[in-house]
Amino acid sequence: MISVENLCKEFNGIKALDRVTLKIEKGEAFGLIGPNGAGKTTLVRILTGQIAASSGEIRFEGAAIDPRERSYRLRIGLVPQEAAFYGRLRARENLELIGSLYGMPRSSISDKAGELLDWSGLMPHAERQVRLFSKGMQQRLSLAMGLMHQPDFLYLDEPTSGLDPEARISLWDLILRLSAQGTAIMMTTHNMEEADHLFGRLAVLVDGAIREEGTPEDIKALLGSDRLELKLRLPDAEVLDRLCGPLDLTWTMEDERVVITGNRVSERIPQIVMTLGPDILNLQYREVTLEDAFLRFMGQVRR
Amino acid sequence: MKGWIALISKDWKLIFRNRLLLIVLIVYPFIIMGVIGAAFYDTGRPVPLGVVNLDHVDKGEIAWVGAWPGGGWLEMQRLMRAGGPVKSFNNQAEALSALQEEGVSMVALTSGQQSDRKWIGADLSRDEVADIFSQLQPSASLKDYDTEQEALKSAGDGSEVLLGLRTEYYPFLGETLWLDGQNNDSSSLLKRFAEDVTEIVEYQSQAAAGEALRKGRVDAVIVLPRGFVHDLKTLDRIAEIEVVLDQSNLVKAEFAETNIRGFLSRINEGVVKSKMAAVAAGLYSLVGGGDFFGTQITGLQQIRDNLENIRAALAGNSQLQESVDTGIELADTVINDIEDALAYLRGTALPIQLDVTSIAGRPLSTKDAVVPSLIGLSILWTGVLCGAILMVGEDEEGMSQRLRLTDMGPFALMGSKLLLATAIVFAQSIAMLLVAVAILGAFASHIPLALLVIAAASFACIGIGLLIAAFARQVAGAVILSVLISFPLIFMTGAVFPLSQMPVFMQWIARAVPVTYAIEALSGVMLRAQSIADVGWEIGVLLAFGVALLTVGSILLKRRTA
Repeated sequence: MISVENLCKEFNGIKALDRVTLKIEKGEAFGLIGPNGAGKTTLVRILTGQIAASSGEIRFEGAAIDPRERSYRLRIGLVPQEAAFYGRLRARENLELIGSLYGMPRSSISDKAGELLDWSGLMPHAERQVRLFSKGMQQRLSLAMGLMHQPDFLYLDEPTSGLDPEARISLWDLILRLSAQGTAIMMTTHNMEEADHLFGRLAVLVDGAIREEGTPEDIKALLGSDRLELKLRLPDAEVLDRLCGPLDLTWTMEDERVVITGNRVSERIPQIVMTLGPDILNLQYREVTLEDAFLRFMGQVRR
Repeated sequence: MKGWIALISKDWKLIFRNRLLLIVLIVYPFIIMGVIGAAFYDTGRPVPLGVVNLDHVDKGEIAWVGAWPGGGWLEMQRLMRAGGPVKSFNNQAEALSALQEEGVSMVALTSGQQSDRKWIGADLSRDEVADIFSQLQPSASLKDYDTEQEALKSAGDGSEVLLGLRTEYYPFLGETLWLDGQNNDSSSLLKRFAEDVTEIVEYQSQAAAGEALRKGRVDAVIVLPRGFVHDLKTLDRIAEIEVVLDQSNLVKAEFAETNIRGFLSRINEGVVKSKMAAVAAGLYSLVGGGDFFGTQITGLQQIRDNLENIRAALAGNSQLQESVDTGIELADTVINDIEDALAYLRGTALPIQLDVTSIAGRPLSTKDAVVPSLIGLSILWTGVLCGAILMVGEDEEGMSQRLRLTDMGPFALMGSKLLLATAIVFAQSIAMLLVAVAILGAFASHIPLALLVIAAASFACIGIGLLIAAFARQVAGAVILSVLISFPLIFMTGAVFPLSQMPVFMQWIARAVPVTYAIEALSGVMLRAQSIADVGWEIGVLLAFGVALLTVGSILLKRRTA
């Protein structure tokens, strides 16, 4: 649906984006993760026509476009990083205003606003001024405002930052429902739990360049490893070497515990238990998370 | 169009649901108008004026006068001796005691070193003292002293002879002047002519009046010299009045001076008219007979009639009749000359009379004059703030990014704000105009044309606000920037100081401020009965300012976004 190729952006000679190439399909939920200052927001601003790229190509439904083109602008939606609404307007007024500004027919504006208020769970608060809302409610309204004109593609720029867990999960639920309804999504975040939970595919953006791309599982497999912690009666290095070597696993001692790491450790647990058997006093297994993988990857990058 | 209406309606709600914004933009100019309106509502209030009247007789008080007789101390002795026997005193205490106990009416002290000083005194009548004063006056000036200390201190300076005399003996002191059927002493003369112009507060001494001036209880002090009314009466010399102004506040000082000059010129006029009437009455009695400055005389007309009778009685004696004819001719000539003199007097005694009318067709007060400036400044305040706040508000609400994706371009965004802000400023100015005219009773001769000027001025001032918006990210910043820019502009518009009184370079700067043209055009159409042709240039400049500021503002905003 939308693809970018070799997209570059420079600010006063400093590269903010470096030959970014991406492709997002119709109905796909695509995540862009990366540390602060990686260039995530810059990419969103270019794709939403707020600023121009220094070079590179953007294609929408196969055709090269300038993101400032009206035909493209009207088919995309944006939920900016900071909550964007008029605090002294009521929730319904905010939605109806957006409908009017997109030139929607008067009859459908009210219906659509009502539908989105229902969808976002804000109907009981429809007639309250938005400045009196909690941050979570404000972000749900911001999301609803981004959907008012029924875009095919929605950009979300770190919409959950600063939300409490309950509000975050509530927003995740809305995003998942949106994705299930077929709206393509590109969302930036640096919350790895969120990225793991929401996106079918994601890209790791570091210093303006895409470093890895794939499903969360791919990224975890590529960048991180599961972890098995064993407390043994008498740890024997020779036995552990003989066990881990053929299985492509590594072991280390941490606080009198043996820590075995590597890919698909969980599948090797029966074999490990069979080998170390009676010496095992305690066993703990932890699957690698996207955050573990990301932190490990960032550690490698920084080194 | 639907989008424009939605944007305008949204901004309208944002302003009217924000109490602080409502106060700053809408209510505040009315508060200022109320304050200034109240300050100028009763500007005809008389100026409080301190008066020290030295031209009055208080029995028992001693007046001190410095004299410079031509022949020095010896001449002084000669003059005093001519009025009566002269007593010598051993010291100052003895002399003063004699003066206070009415042993003598006047004492004199030689100036110079303490050891060389001599005191003499004489018991003279008021006329004798007057005679001495009149003999002193032509050759040497006299100087009045307020206090004994001041006089004695001055006596040590050299050639001066110090005279001390009880005030009832002081020549020409406390005299009265006959004006419009009333006898007036200095005090009643002042009060009479100061009525409706100033508020007179009398002080006993110059020191007390000076203190009142320093403490702001009066706006100026005037000192009436001894013999003030006598001078007015005789016109022997020009009556001099000392005026002390508090120039720490120049406006107040100017007000006070104008008022003092105003009522003193009324005294001048009154005295001249009265003298002229007296001279005219004298001249009439010369012709018609009667009271001629206190003496009953037979008029020239009667004399002429008598001569006619004599002539008739001398019928047949042509020689004597010719002699009588000469007398009749002389009487006719003198009567004609007196009539000419009367006409001349009437025509030239007060050759200038002011007939003040206003270009507005009625006299204008400060209140009338301040309204155009007030409306101009409120347009500047509300226009600049409204333009800046509405524009920066989009950034602060985080809506700019979202709005750029919609069908509404930057032109619509800026245009809708311009329309709403113009409507607000326009409505506010109309309300102020109505309040000024209907409630405060201010004058406005051409209201429809004033509305046209207001619309053009609103457009220009909102342009300044939109330009400011290009440099601010938050509403608070925009407000601070607006106030920082508006405040100095207020002083350059001619609203506070007249443009013509500013240095030329400041006048050029003032010409670069749109409000200058707004205030000029508003006062023109409201107070000077100007037409559209007269203020066309100002309206054109205001519109040009608006277009230029909006263009520059749009470019800067676009550049900032990029």
